[in-house]
Amino acid sequence: MAELMHDDAVFRPKPSLPPPPNTVGVVGWLRKNLFGGPFDTLMTVVGATLIVYFGHKLFMYGVVNAVWEAESYRECLDITGGDGACWAGVDRWMSNYIYGRYSVDERWRVNLGFIVLAVWLAPFWFPRVTQKILVGVSAVLTFPFLAANLFLGGDPGLFLEVMTAIALTCFAAVWLNVAACYAGYKSVGVVIVRVSGFADKDDRMHKWVLLGAFGVGFVLAFLYQSTWDLAEVPTVNWGGLFLTLVISGIGISSALPAGVILALGRRSKMPVIQVFCTAFIELFRSVPLITILFMAVTMMPLFLPVSINPDKLVLVIIAVCIFAAAYMAEIVRGGLQAINKGQYEAAQAMGLNYWKMMTLIIMPQALKLMIPNIVGNFMGLLKDTTLVSIIGLYDILLMTKASGQDPKWLGMHTEPMLFAAAVFFVMCFCMSKYSQHLEKTIGGGYGRR
Amino acid sequence: MKKVSLFGLGAGLLAALTFTSEPAFAQQSTLDIVKSRGQLRCQLGTPAPGWYELSDSGKWSGFDVENCRAVAAAVFGDPDKIEYQSVTSAVRFTAMANGESDMLSRTTTWTLFRDTQLGLDFTTVSFYDGQGFMVKKDMGIKSALELKGATVCVLTGTTTELNLTDYSRTNDLGMNAVVFEDSNVRDNTFFTNGCDAITNDKSSLASTRAKAPDTSIFTILPETISKEPLGPVVRQNDSQWKDIVLWSVFAMVQAEEFGITSANIDKVIAETTNPEIKRMMGVEGDLSKGLGLDPKWAYNIIKTVGNYGENYEEFMGEKTVMNIPRAGSPNALWTNGGMMYSPPFR
Repeated sequence: MAELMHDDAVFRPKPSLPPPPNTVGVVGWLRKNLFGGPFDTLMTVVGATLIVYFGHKLFMYGVVNAVWEAESYRECLDITGGDGACWAGVDRWMSNYIYGRYSVDERWRVNLGFIVLAVWLAPFWFPRVTQKILVGVSAVLTFPFLAANLFLGGDPGLFLEVMTAIALTCFAAVWLNVAACYAGYKSVGVVIVRVSGFADKDDRMHKWVLLGAFGVGFVLAFLYQSTWDLAEVPTVNWGGLFLTLVISGIGISSALPAGVILALGRRSKMPVIQVFCTAFIELFRSVPLITILFMAVTMMPLFLPVSINPDKLVLVIIAVCIFAAAYMAEIVRGGLQAINKGQYEAAQAMGLNYWKMMTLIIMPQALKLMIPNIVGNFMGLLKDTTLVSIIGLYDILLMTKASGQDPKWLGMHTEPMLFAAAVFFVMCFCMSKYSQHLEKTIGGGYGRR
Repeated sequence: MKKVSLFGLGAGLLAALTFTSEPAFAQQSTLDIVKSRGQLRCQLGTPAPGWYELSDSGKWSGFDVENCRAVAAAVFGDPDKIEYQSVTSAVRFTAMANGESDMLSRTTTWTLFRDTQLGLDFTTVSFYDGQGFMVKKDMGIKSALELKGATVCVLTGTTTELNLTDYSRTNDLGMNAVVFEDSNVRDNTFFTNGCDAITNDKSSLASTRAKAPDTSIFTILPETISKEPLGPVVRQNDSQWKDIVLWSVFAMVQAEEFGITSANIDKVIAETTNPEIKRMMGVEGDLSKGLGLDPKWAYNIIKTVGNYGENYEEFMGEKTVMNIPRAGSPNALWTNGGMMYSPPFR
């Protein structure tokens, strides 16, 4: 049929003209975004001037005029006259910024602790691994005790030893589970049940088998950890970034569960629970963190008999946890209120009880909505932990200040602060980026729009 | 006292609810607690050059640290059996009151209020400090009385600020205080001509000067406008412990008067005919009995920590960043016209 038609009888669109040259490419982008009008142009010029001016200053101070090798701050000053950064001092104190006054020979324990945590949580990001909730829950509930034993050393006492053994067993279980999943099984539990020969029995029997396997693991782990012989490093020597991470890490990991419980309690219909939770939240939300820290560290020991000698760090961590939980509770409550009433009614209509309704229907939706707020709160908490320097815990901020009081580095003040700022920026920026990633992957249609 | 009784009530209630034991430091002597713990808990401030320096290897040293080391040497014979507690000045007295620290040695001025109203006892003065002014030499000022209408950089929330206003009013100088929260910011402002003068305790002025890009252009004016006697502090109502701390400091002063140093102590004891030295060093008599210490307590202090003059040279002397001349100051021995004076060891 085509050959019957004349070419000029067919509508042939001409190729469209190229866009005007000044609207495409670099020039176009610049015109559109930076020089769209007189006001835009002015703003661009002012902004660029400021960036160049301060960028140049910072570059000159931090790189061009900076001193990288020196024995004292005086030497730096003699070289630069105060116009350049003295990174030599920061370099000399670097390991103290990270570990505080933790004994130099024992610092491998800190490294090991954080490596264990990273390895423990790694299966979260393995696509084929099941039971991811258990990975997280076991790490949050038991890792702090393993870490406490590892970092503290000395004679940990029976409680810590037991908790350490449980933690080690959980750690082993998590990685056996990874192995089982990649070997094609559903979970490590299935493998254990099959190996034990009780596979054809009922579920209750399976539970007992798993419990027994856990018990065997526990005994082995207990025997293993009792061979540990670690020198004691008292918490007063903990410091630097390590201490910051310990306090904020425990605060962050306990804030969400505690906040969820408090928020549910506040919305509860049971008057005692509701009043208690409301009072708790309102009390600790209305008081500055520094006040809570002061109360915990200086007033609590006055109220306690001396036979109970609470560690300062423990008191601080408890105070931070309480504070963080109170704030988190209100964020969670906000998230809960954003959920349509129909969701509750639908869940109830399906015959779900309160806990099933909350854990299966409401919370998953609410938590998705809350991600930006939650992460924002975590970042705030991370930065708030620098307040512990006021009550004399040598976190990264106080360590950076201390380095400027070392007679050799007397007057070194700006450089350590810049370093600490950079550390906090990196940590917070990573958290922020990860939260955006989370929103994209689990937020679905409710994510950022 | 109202506050204290209120806290006491709270403490009592809580103790009754949970455990029926009282705070142990109220019953047991501090010496017993320290001995059974095997460590002295000594409170310092956050690092400050000269006074309590924290090295990059995590070790404490300094003029005030030597007081702690002396007490540990007296009690244990080992100056390193110490848990250093470095706390900010905001909580220094509560940390004493709640039994956290056994003693405090951290540039704390002895005042009547503190000695009587905080449940604390000041032992003695180990350093006589006083507030002064520092200016740039090229201002050509020779006396603080010439600072009429000057702007003066000062830290807030300390008695320093109060002393400055008092001095300005008394002498009708009309000074303008520029108030700072952070000493580094204050110092930088002064260095960059943000104020004409800076005021603080003279020992702190010395460390401020040491931070400057060019230390030679500053001068500390002769006037001392306040008395700041600094020394170790213990909890009230434990006179045995107070005596131990007090006489540990005296031992260092007395040793300097005798010319005994950590280097020559064994030689001096072997050769001396002076009975007071023999008594002090535990060769004769039983002077240590009342203190409840080993007869060699003073020997251990001097041998391991050194005498007062050695410590001064090491941390405040002309070879240090502090560079505070001792001759002619109240911190010289009384035999040299200063105020360092130990009661006799007999």
